[in-house]
Amino acid sequence: MFTKHFSGQLASYIDGELAQRKVQQAELHLGQCARCRTECEQVRYGMAVLEHLPLVEAPEGAWASIEAAFQQSRSRTTATTGRWRLAFAATVVLVLAGVAYWAGVHQSGMRWEIVRLAGSPIVGAKQIREAGRVGAGEWIETDSRSRAAVKVGEIGSVEVGPNTRVRVVAMRPDEHRLALLRGEIRARIYAPPRLFFVDTASGTAVDLGCEYELKTDEDGFGMLRVTKGWVSFQWKGLESLVPAGASCRTRPHVGPGIPYFDDASENLKQALESFAFEKGGNETLSIVLTESRARDTLTLWHLLSRVEVGDRERVYDRIAALTPVPDGVSREQALKLNPETLKRWKEELSWTW
Amino acid sequence: MINLSDREISAEIIASCRLGDRDAFRALYDVYKDRVYSISLYFFHGDQAMATDVSQQVFLKLMTSIGQFRGDAEFSTWLYRLVVNACMDAVRHSKSEAIISDRFRMEAFAGTGSQEEDYARAEMANSVRAAVSALPPKFRIAVLLRYFEDLSYEQMAEALHCSMGTVASRLSRGHKILAERLKGLISAKK
Repeated sequence: MFTKHFSGQLASYIDGELAQRKVQQAELHLGQCARCRTECEQVRYGMAVLEHLPLVEAPEGAWASIEAAFQQSRSRTTATTGRWRLAFAATVVLVLAGVAYWAGVHQSGMRWEIVRLAGSPIVGAKQIREAGRVGAGEWIETDSRSRAAVKVGEIGSVEVGPNTRVRVVAMRPDEHRLALLRGEIRARIYAPPRLFFVDTASGTAVDLGCEYELKTDEDGFGMLRVTKGWVSFQWKGLESLVPAGASCRTRPHVGPGIPYFDDASENLKQALESFAFEKGGNETLSIVLTESRARDTLTLWHLLSRVEVGDRERVYDRIAALTPVPDGVSREQALKLNPETLKRWKEELSWTW
Repeated sequence: MINLSDREISAEIIASCRLGDRDAFRALYDVYKDRVYSISLYFFHGDQAMATDVSQQVFLKLMTSIGQFRGDAEFSTWLYRLVVNACMDAVRHSKSEAIISDRFRMEAFAGTGSQEEDYARAEMANSVRAAVSALPPKFRIAVLLRYFEDLSYEQMAEALHCSMGTVASRLSRGHKILAERLKGLISAKK
């Protein structure tokens, strides 16, 4: 029997989305609880007033704009593909000729296209003049004046910045993986989450549908900056979730730091770095807590599971002071780092991120 | 031109879209355009430019990435996931959410007729729009998805990237807030 009020489930009860067993419990409870009966009527009323919200017709010319944008996008792809194919065919004709052309076509299905953007990028030991292909196991290397763009299968593209060394590790439909030894890449991925990965010395960036910049040195000192969507940065079971507008530092033997929004205060950023990577103590934690805005609950939510047990209450209290604790999140379970509780809280907080 | 009754999105149509069939895309667009636009419009406080932009982004994304639709989810769930992502991305990139909310753009909803008999109905609709507009984004998008698309809680959970319990909680709280803000509206205006 429902001994607790069930405010959070009233909509599912009214919409017939509650399991039959719970419906019976709910009805028993409603029979005894005036408060829930009142709230139930309120939710019904809230649903009923929406009947006064009319459907609005989309503007007449919208389809033409969409179609034009689509055609533009297709012609760009076709033109680019055309240039790549021409360069590829020319190379094949020069090097292999005749029958080897067909072998080249067959092989092209397993390699990604790469174009030179500036300077003299190298694939393996070969300099890319205009366009070429890169396969699994091959390195792409740029010097201080070189840049290149790689078409990552059918899911997006990666721009390889200057002074970068990156290897193609896997190019399967379910796993597109690069290893960034040093330098900087900018990824634009338009695929379902968890199909594109970039390994670095301090962890792996897992695409959750996004655009981002990632730079690192060979030791693993690096920075992830997300401009669209989300990226998960993972290292030995530690995970930092970084949304658009936020960044996260990485360090060797530590993995991802605690993400923060780029518009957070400089004091917060400095204190956070000190706390995360230099064993900063109470004072630095106090600065982080004091400087945090509602949006910085991104930082505080990550901090909750990374501070010492004794400091956890301070972090919890600060989040609770910045934004109401939602139903289903209890202080006790949050302080115990109950995964379901933390997940539920993140779902609520992420609307402000 | 392919004619589709509401929601009759068949595997053949999706397959045609994957082949770049313009008529198939147009048919999909015609089925969903008004609901996608309405959700965007009410979500962005009546901002027509923003709603148009977001709707276009959604359909362009749909057209360029339909090859990634695997068919293991319902098409409408996938589409509304694109809508939710586009709306929330726009909110994240907009510094003016609170400001816009305060000056709700009523002019976007100017009625097509000005007859006096419609006055009460228009006034009621404006009150509801303003109340929906003032909901926090996470409640607003849930309420709009449920109302305009009548998605199941399971589909909504998929589209909103959250659990069914969270969907229920957001809808309950959202509708309760609406009821509190619009208390007495229906009986008073009848």
